[in-house]
Amino acid sequence: MAEAKTDKDDKVIGSRLMMGARERRFRSIGSRIGHSTLILIASSSLIALLFIFYFIIKDAFPFFRLEGFREFLGSSRWYPSREEAEFGALAIFIGSGLVTLGAILFSVPVGVLASLCLSDILPFSLRQVVKPVIEMLAAIPSVVYGFFALVVFAPMLQEKGGSLLSAAALVVLIPLAAILVIVTSDLLSGMFTRNVRKISRVAAGLAGSAVSFYFISRIYVFLNGLEIASGTNALNASVILGIMALPTIVSVSEDALNAVGRDLREGSYALGATRAETLVKVVVPAAKSGITAAVILGVMRAIGETMVVWMASGNAARIPKPWFNLLEPVRTLTATIAGDMGEADHVTGSARYHVLFAMALGLLLFAFISNFVSEMIVRKSRRSGS
Amino acid sequence: MRSILKSIAVFSCALVMLSGMTVGNAAAEERIIIDGSTTVGPIAKAFAEYYMSLHEDVNITVSESGSGNGAKSLINGMCDIADMSRFMKQKEFMAAVEKGRMPVAHVVAVDGLPIIVHPGNPVGNLTIEQVRDIYMGKIVNWKEVGGPDVQIVRVSRDTNSGTYETFETMVMAKEKIHENTEYVGSNGAVRQRVQSTPAAIGYAGLGFVDRTVKALKVNGIMPDRNTVSSGTYPIARPLFMFTDKYPKLGTHLHAFVSLYLTPKGQEIIEEIGFIPVTKY
Amino acid sequence: MEVGTRKLLDRSFTSVGFFAIILMGMALLILLQPIIVRGLKAFIFRGTVEYREMSLEQFGRGNAEALARDLDEALEARKPVYDILDSFEEEMKESGPEFRRQYRSDFSELKGLITELLGPREGAKEKALIRKKYGQTRYDRALIKLHQVLFVEGYDYSDTSGMGKSIETPRAELFAGTTIERLFGVLESDIEKMLKPKMTLYWRFLFDESKDAHFFGGIWPEMLGTLYLSIGSMIFAIPLGIITAIYLAEYAGHGKFVSLLRTCISSLAGVPSIVFGLFGLAFFINTMHVSSSKSVLAGSMTLALLVLPTIIRASEEAILAVPRGYREASMSLGAGKWFTIARVILPAALPGILTSTIISLGRAAGETAPIIFTAAVSVGKPLGLFETLSQPTPALPWNIYNLATEHEAVDEIRHVQYGMVFTLVAMVLLLNLTAILLRARITKKLRG
Repeated sequence: MAEAKTDKDDKVIGSRLMMGARERRFRSIGSRIGHSTLILIASSSLIALLFIFYFIIKDAFPFFRLEGFREFLGSSRWYPSREEAEFGALAIFIGSGLVTLGAILFSVPVGVLASLCLSDILPFSLRQVVKPVIEMLAAIPSVVYGFFALVVFAPMLQEKGGSLLSAAALVVLIPLAAILVIVTSDLLSGMFTRNVRKISRVAAGLAGSAVSFYFISRIYVFLNGLEIASGTNALNASVILGIMALPTIVSVSEDALNAVGRDLREGSYALGATRAETLVKVVVPAAKSGITAAVILGVMRAIGETMVVWMASGNAARIPKPWFNLLEPVRTLTATIAGDMGEADHVTGSARYHVLFAMALGLLLFAFISNFVSEMIVRKSRRSGS
Repeated sequence: MRSILKSIAVFSCALVMLSGMTVGNAAAEERIIIDGSTTVGPIAKAFAEYYMSLHEDVNITVSESGSGNGAKSLINGMCDIADMSRFMKQKEFMAAVEKGRMPVAHVVAVDGLPIIVHPGNPVGNLTIEQVRDIYMGKIVNWKEVGGPDVQIVRVSRDTNSGTYETFETMVMAKEKIHENTEYVGSNGAVRQRVQSTPAAIGYAGLGFVDRTVKALKVNGIMPDRNTVSSGTYPIARPLFMFTDKYPKLGTHLHAFVSLYLTPKGQEIIEEIGFIPVTKY
Repeated sequence: MEVGTRKLLDRSFTSVGFFAIILMGMALLILLQPIIVRGLKAFIFRGTVEYREMSLEQFGRGNAEALARDLDEALEARKPVYDILDSFEEEMKESGPEFRRQYRSDFSELKGLITELLGPREGAKEKALIRKKYGQTRYDRALIKLHQVLFVEGYDYSDTSGMGKSIETPRAELFAGTTIERLFGVLESDIEKMLKPKMTLYWRFLFDESKDAHFFGGIWPEMLGTLYLSIGSMIFAIPLGIITAIYLAEYAGHGKFVSLLRTCISSLAGVPSIVFGLFGLAFFINTMHVSSSKSVLAGSMTLALLVLPTIIRASEEAILAVPRGYREASMSLGAGKWFTIARVILPAALPGILTSTIISLGRAAGETAPIIFTAAVSVGKPLGLFETLSQPTPALPWNIYNLATEHEAVDEIRHVQYGMVFTLVAMVLLLNLTAILLRARITKKLRG
């Protein structure tokens, strides 16, 4: 009891008052054991991650020993089943990249706009309606998306692909052109003196609309005449992956937008900026890092997805011509792993088995690095923000 | 809070009861695990369902994960029967023997690989060399083989399939399939691609060829039951089920792998579209 | 810029934003509409008399007397068809070889088609496959088959510059001038009497085992497999997840180790699902030998790793959301830390943890890639509880893929595929709806 008085920590006194010396020692050992067990369990995800890396690397390494890097990353000749097998995975890497790029091109603008709308434009009651929609999009299993892509979307693309694409192009291009025309005519007319300003503005507007009409109609005609040979192609996979990546992008970037303080917004409004100007010039730059993180997470979601690309991308192991041609079938890393695993003989330790682990290692490293980068970005912004 | 806990309790009770229902009829079952080729899969599945309908006490599971996987599972003792659309490779055999297993092949059926085109295609006959040239990319237009002036669209099964390996060895010899070839995941998908693409050429298992596509004569021989089983049609292959040693007489496993010898089994094989090895 | 332009831009920006939201809603609608509409057709459809016969013979369901009556009427209606076929066969026998050669292949094709439409004739040899024992069991498919009977799809190759043109000619023209010509008229007008379609509700689709590779019957093994896998994964993931969350929220400070741990958790969340599958195969099955081959157990463990990060994060949030006052009150009453956590904080955080668990349950139910190599098979019986430790199972996500891409009769069993997709989506969305409602209640409580 005497020593308790010398202890300065008030919290400890209370608890120590209630137990004897032996019990105290017992307690402290017990709690140490408890604590270390707790840490052990808590590090289960650390252990799991280490194990995943270990097992993937263990089976990926023999491939590089057997075949070397150069063919793997430098050639696009993928003939894994032949006597003299070739394992050029370049086309497969490019295929993965291409569908991901397509998905991001679609989902980032839509996702960021939607998150802006959710955070700043929609009234609270409507927000409560939209949120479940996003949650449902996120909850639908990937195989269902894949089924839709294969059974509904692919035949649609193949039969009416041209008109579908041209309609989509109209929907995107017309508002874009309208905004562009308004802005440029306004800027142009600003260069003239006051008395001709109105006329010059109308003239510029008319000219702009004529030019954009010309280009849009050219694009429309081109797309409308397009014949899509196969409905299962990179475009199909990209669109569906884009929809799947949307919820991630929307929710993460919405969080980032909400984290931007009200004071910034109010300051901007006080200076007379409109809502659009506030959002584009103040809020989005302030939430830049969060939005970048959202995009990275979206990329990770798209590149790691298996079922959709397996069912809808066409699985041709070659680089499209030209490389950005989304209308050609491509083969992706995940689909190759899922599809080829069954034919690869594990027992004999063939290169065909290990090459799949090498691909998995590629995916894993990509996920790991991009996750790390996004965390760094967020952390950095937090430090500079606070 | 209490209501949540209550609903959890109700839910778990329901679950236990649900599984209890199935425990009842699942006790003391014999299992046969089948793994392997997607081509042999339909036969294995039909056999399994037929066999299970005769013997209530047997549970047969069929995975269709590919010939290689089937071999692997058999070698590791993870399955009783490996479906394979190719014969076991030497390496696989050696690995099996090392592990003390002796794979025994049962030829359950024969499958032909018809070359199919769109029914609108006037071409009706190709030689095997022409087919090879088409897939190599030497012949790129249908007019070179007597058809209209249209670019050929090559469709192939995915490289991970036994069907692809068969085509590669029987048709392509040592040549490589041109890289500008569409790969699709299943026999049905090949048919779908060909029936929807007028300029397409593809190949699929005999059972998958129906009225919507046109099978070509190869070297002047039409693929059908007789030409494939007699061996006159040049692109045909046997389909295998491998077991570890020859199964003991009187076991379910034995009865199952010899199902293809019974009239019913042969009828099933034929009704799915493959060709029984023996005529009854 | 002028004020007017700025206002205009502001408005158009707003509408573009709205458009993005609408696009998302439309994506959801377009996705769900065919799944719901066509998925329900697995449950509600116009079943023909052949369906009722199948149902009675294969499942022992239905009213035998009513069926016998229906069958009699249907057979009565079909009699003229068979009469015509028989009389044509007579005609072939009696007429010369010329005539026989002309019609033989056409006639056998026609007979085959009619068998597919109406089922094998009475007294015909018993077929081995169940699908061959009956005619068309669904009226919508019967009408498609009827069209194939009535019309021949042919091609006109006369224009050699391009591919042949498709032409549909009535099959009757093939048999012009023979007795069989009448057949087509009879078929077309009396098809309803021959098949007697009736609205059928097949709710047992969920609880029946499949017959003949999903041609008939339901999806019970797949449903049960999905339930086992998702609940099994929760059994592993929940304790791990909650304990980790407790550690992170209550014990861990801001040290190096903790930040490493957090990085690991978010990295684990970013690992592609197919990599989890490979890992599950390499670790749980080939190294740890939790089961001799694929099994529900191995699949559950793999899925558990997949959902672990989600559960950790959500549980940590739920624990942190418990007001400080609870903790302080409990501590000041002399309760230890463990006691406080177990008796005060966890119960208060339970609804939040539950919400995340329910969502993860849905995620685990729908994942395909991790179970391809670890748990899923194409055909298998429903498993008993203890068999899950050693046996693989069919599961909805895998079988959707399998039926949609690898089945030998993909088009004929579309309704089963849609039925499976519908069931899976309904399961997952119902779980999510529960979570959403639960969360709404929590927020209300916290506010009130």
